[in-house]
Amino acid sequence: MQKEGPPLQQLLHRITATPPDFMAEPRIGNKGEVHTVAVVRDLLASKGHVVELASLSALAGRDVKADRNRLSITLLIAWLLADPALTIERERLVDILTLLKDDATRLAGYTNARQLFEDLERREELARLTLSKLGLRPAGETMAQAQDRFTSISSLERARLLAASQEAEARARAIREQLAKKAAEESANKWTRE
Amino acid sequence: MLAQLREHPSAPIYRNQSGHRLLPGEVDRARALEDEAVRATIDWQPNVPPAWVKSFVERCFSASPFYRRYGAMPRSFTELPTMTREDLARDMPYLVPDDIDIDRLINFRTSGTSGHPLLMASHPLVAAQYLGYHKRALRRFGVTLRHGRGQVGVILLGVQSICFTYVSITPTMDDSGLAKINLHPNDWRSLDDRAKYLEAMNPEVLAGDPISFATLLDIDPKLRPAALLSTSMTLMPALRERLEERFGCPVLDLYSMNEAGPIAVLDETAGGHVLLQQRMYVEILDDADRPVAPGQRGEVTLTGGFNFCLPLVRYRTGDHASLERRGDDLVLIGLEGRPPVKYRRHDGRWLNNIEITHALRPMPIVQFSVHQDASAHIRVDYVAASVAPGDVERALRALFGEETSLQVSQVDSFDRKIIQYTSALPGAQA
Repeated sequence: MQKEGPPLQQLLHRITATPPDFMAEPRIGNKGEVHTVAVVRDLLASKGHVVELASLSALAGRDVKADRNRLSITLLIAWLLADPALTIERERLVDILTLLKDDATRLAGYTNARQLFEDLERREELARLTLSKLGLRPAGETMAQAQDRFTSISSLERARLLAASQEAEARARAIREQLAKKAAEESANKWTRE
Repeated sequence: MLAQLREHPSAPIYRNQSGHRLLPGEVDRARALEDEAVRATIDWQPNVPPAWVKSFVERCFSASPFYRRYGAMPRSFTELPTMTREDLARDMPYLVPDDIDIDRLINFRTSGTSGHPLLMASHPLVAAQYLGYHKRALRRFGVTLRHGRGQVGVILLGVQSICFTYVSITPTMDDSGLAKINLHPNDWRSLDDRAKYLEAMNPEVLAGDPISFATLLDIDPKLRPAALLSTSMTLMPALRERLEERFGCPVLDLYSMNEAGPIAVLDETAGGHVLLQQRMYVEILDDADRPVAPGQRGEVTLTGGFNFCLPLVRYRTGDHASLERRGDDLVLIGLEGRPPVKYRRHDGRWLNNIEITHALRPMPIVQFSVHQDASAHIRVDYVAASVAPGDVERALRALFGEETSLQVSQVDSFDRKIIQYTSALPGAQA
C-alpha cells in the first residue's frame, strides 16, 4: 500500500458496471460460457505480461458445483483489474495470480459473485483487496487508514465465515447423529417402500 | 387396532416398532396436504419450468449449505449444476435447510444397486404425504380409499430372511390399521397362517414389489383388495395381469424412490408413467446436462418434491425416459432404470436393452438380469416359477438370432435388488 492508486469510488463504480460477459457462467468441462483461463490470460497480456498456461491451470475448473463460485469471482476480479487506471508491475505478478486463484477461492467460502457485485461492503472489500495486491491504497487515504479499513472489513467477514462454517459442520454432525439414532428404530410409516 | 393386528391367532411375529410420529397439530396439516396432492393440477410444459421453481431454487440457495456453495444463482434455470446420488451419499446433511428442527428428523434408508448406500433426512409430515400421491394415483384407476377406524387400510408385504416388521395406524384415515409383514417362513408359526391372517385382516390395499406379490400368488389368500401398489422394481406386464386377474383389482406400478417419494404411476392408456407431484419439475437431460427436446430420451432429472428436509435441484436419478404432455397428463415414456445398455448380436448389430424388456413383456417374470460378458456371451437369470426357460430363450432368440451365444437360467431368487442390464463389452454403454 506504499503507493496511492485511483479513488475507491472509481473501483466501486467499475464493479457495479461489470458487463454481462463477466457475470456469465464460467466454462467448466463442457458447461458454461466464459473460459476463465482465456479471460485471465488476455487480461495479463493487456497489462504487458505473458504467463505460461500451466500457471493458470487451476482456473480451468473440474467440478461445476465446487468451482463455479470461485471462478465467477475470478472473472469479476479480472474485470476490475482491467481498469485502465490500474497497472500490474512485474514484481506484483505473483500476488495478482494469488488474488485471481487463492483469494478468489477464499472469498468463495463466504460470499459469491452476486454479493460482491450487489453488496456495498463486499464491493469495498473486493476493491481494497485488489488494490492491496497491486501495492496500492485508495487515493486520499493514508497507509494507516487504508490498512485499518481493509483489515476491519475483511476480518469481520472472515470471522463470520469461521462461525458459519463451524456452525454448518456442527449441524451436519448433529443431523448424521440424529439419523443414525433413528436408524435403530426405523422411520415413520409410509404406505409403500422403495 | 394395534392389538387386533398383533394378537390375531394367525398373526406373524412382529419384530419391530414404528409409528406415524405426527404431533397432534400435524394431523390436520397432513390431511390438507393429502387433499392438495389429490386435487392439484400439473400444468407445466416440458422444458418450461413452472413459476414456483424460481422461488424454490432461491430458497435452496439461501437456506441449504449445499446449494450456498454453488455461489450466486445463475441467470437461467438450465445453468444450474446437476447433482447425483453420489452428492447425496457424501453431502446429505448439508442439504437440510437451516430452519429444519433436527429433533424431528427421521430417516429413509436405501441400499440401492449403484454402490452408494444412502441415509436420507425426512420428516413425519413427509412420510404422511405419500398417501396423498397414492390416492391421486388410485383415483386414475377409479379407486377411492374408504377403510377407516377398526379396519386395516394397508398391509405392506416383504419377503426377506430378515425384515423390519411392525403394526401402526394412519391418522388421516381415521386411524385405520397399517402393518408391514414378512411373507418369509421365518416370521410365521405355521405357513397356513399367512393366508389366514391376510384374509382376517382384509386390507383395503396391499403394497409390495414383484417378488412379494409373486409369493402372494403362491399363498393364494381369498382377498378382494381395492388395489395393489407395486414399487421398487420393474413389474412385468404379464405378472401385473395375473395379479389383476387373481385379485380382481387394479395393480398400480409406481415409479417411486426414497429421494423423492412417488413420482409417477404407470397408466397404459396414457402410454407411460404419469407424473403425480404438483411440486416436482421433471427434466429429461442429455449427458451434458442439457434438456433434450420433448419426446427424446434422456435421464430423468428432478427439481422440487415434497421432502422439505431434502430439497432437490436438478437431481439426476439415473433412470431414463422421454417426457411428453398428453392431454392433462405429463407422461414419462419408456421408463427404464439405470443408463441404457446395448447388447451385441452375433452379426455385430447392437440392440438396446429396452428391446429385451419388450420381448419379455408377455411373460409373468418376477425379476431378471441380463449380462453380456467380454466374449459377447449373454447370460439371462430370471425368477418366475411358472415360466419355462425354453420360453424365455425362444423370445430372446427371436431378438438376438439363433447364432448368438445365449444361456437362460431360472433361479429361485436374487439375493438383493439387482442391476437388471449389464455388459462387459466395450461400446455397450449407449
